[in-house]
Amino acid sequence: MSAVAAKPQAGGAMNPTAMVVGVIMLLIILALCWYVSPGLGLMALIGIIIGGVLIGFGTHFVPVGGAPAAMGQAPGIATGVAMLAAGAGLAGLFGGAWAAGQGWVIATITGGVGGGLMMAITCMMVNFIYVFGMGIPSASGKVAKDPITGDTQAEFKSQGTEGHGLPFVSFVGGVTGGFLGGAGGTLIYLQLLSLYETKLPTLMGVPAAQVMPIAVAAAGIFAVGLFLVNAVLTAYNITGTIEGPHDPKFKRWPRAIVASAVASALCGFVAILIVAI
Amino acid sequence: MSVKVEVIEGGIPHNKIMIAGLVGTLVCLYLTYLNVLTNTEVFAFFGGLAVVTALIWGSHTIKVLCSYGIGTGVPSAGMIAFGSGVMAMLLATKPIFGMAAPIVALVLAAIIGFILGYISNNILNMKIPAMVRALTEMAAVGALSLMGFAALITGGFTFAGLTTGTVNMLGMTVSSNQISFIGGGLIAVAFLLGAIAIQHPFNACLGPGWKQDRMLMLTAECGFLSMIVAAIMSFALISAGSAIISLIVAIVGWAYTYNQYICLSKRDAAAWLDAKPIPDMEGH
Repeated sequence: MSAVAAKPQAGGAMNPTAMVVGVIMLLIILALCWYVSPGLGLMALIGIIIGGVLIGFGTHFVPVGGAPAAMGQAPGIATGVAMLAAGAGLAGLFGGAWAAGQGWVIATITGGVGGGLMMAITCMMVNFIYVFGMGIPSASGKVAKDPITGDTQAEFKSQGTEGHGLPFVSFVGGVTGGFLGGAGGTLIYLQLLSLYETKLPTLMGVPAAQVMPIAVAAAGIFAVGLFLVNAVLTAYNITGTIEGPHDPKFKRWPRAIVASAVASALCGFVAILIVAI
Repeated sequence: MSVKVEVIEGGIPHNKIMIAGLVGTLVCLYLTYLNVLTNTEVFAFFGGLAVVTALIWGSHTIKVLCSYGIGTGVPSAGMIAFGSGVMAMLLATKPIFGMAAPIVALVLAAIIGFILGYISNNILNMKIPAMVRALTEMAAVGALSLMGFAALITGGFTFAGLTTGTVNMLGMTVSSNQISFIGGGLIAVAFLLGAIAIQHPFNACLGPGWKQDRMLMLTAECGFLSMIVAAIMSFALISAGSAIISLIVAIVGWAYTYNQYICLSKRDAAAWLDAKPIPDMEGH
């Protein structure tokens, strides 16, 4: 069997039993968190779950092309989900972390803007290279007309390819995905930071000002870890590549919501346990 | 249902590599407790050896998983390994676990990895036979490698040791949280040093010409290369003598594995042209 035919055929079908098991796991983790750290810890965990779901949902918007896109045979940015989501999410996280002192609303939006900006620059430079460097127009292979501009796609698409370049809808999807991912990453960071700032001084027996570097670094590395876990799980959901919100694979997002919620709850719970026991 | 693209032909079976990697890593991590027994830091280099051993195990696990063609690229596997391992590792360093820290890290990471594997295989409908086991193993590898880096850089892996350092100020030694493995952000560097070293070997060696010994040698080379960087960072937190020992071990290991890797590459190559990097430009 050739390598092409052997690509995973993980279809769009839902597995209802597994979804129910996932929701039950989520409730169990929430109950455990309420048991070990009611109040602050539970609030932090809920924030982490919302952030994780935002990351998982946002990653579906990002036009990920993978290796075929690097050869101009498929639309999207020519790298994997993990790299793109990490780039956008970390750019957003750094942006949001600077604004952490301004309250969580401003910080989360700043994080979202940072992630969206990073994706906008990436998408623009990718299209620059596609159009002026490789000499190929932008055309989608999945839809006949661009859902936003209404431009027809078929006459620009080369034979034997699935489309190429970044059509307008993919660009918009990329920016939306970057915004959601950056905001989600920042939300996780803020929740962990406020929890650690409150709990670590008594735990370690040092003044609050001294504990700041530990709280910032631990919250930051956990936010990065959670971000990568959610991004890779979403990558598994779309089996590697997606064109953007108009791609049929986009309809698989409910699975990713459950998966991201359970994964974020699990990892977030372990991160909360560090200060709870 | 996906079909396996490549099969492992010959070579050491995965179970053997897993057991050897697991035992080797735990033994190396426990050997760093010699620092506590002898009240020095010279045995920090065992942390680096634990990293190399764990990475060898982890890169073979990535080979087992990614030979199913998961469609997301090999690097994502390295990222999820360390992303899920970092929390387990830090929770295991808490004082209540004491000497059992490496075992606790292993068990906790395995639980996280198992649930992530269930999520990917059933909720996300990946239906890859090796998925649950591979993600369980990789989370454990991620946690143990980070613990190894922590031991290499700070000389131990207690929560207090990772969060507190000392700084000389006007001739006085003051304890500081800024100069520490976590407070100084060294954990982020260790995270990516490990994540890149674990995914690169299979990413570089995959294909029809894949050979197990060549890939594992490249893993050891990447591991020692990461250890060199981590040993240089350890100058900030442990005594210079101990850091120099770690650095020498890392450089010797890297030079040996790099040479071996070049030999194995020459063995597997169709032809080998020893091109000069800078050609002689006569008459110019």
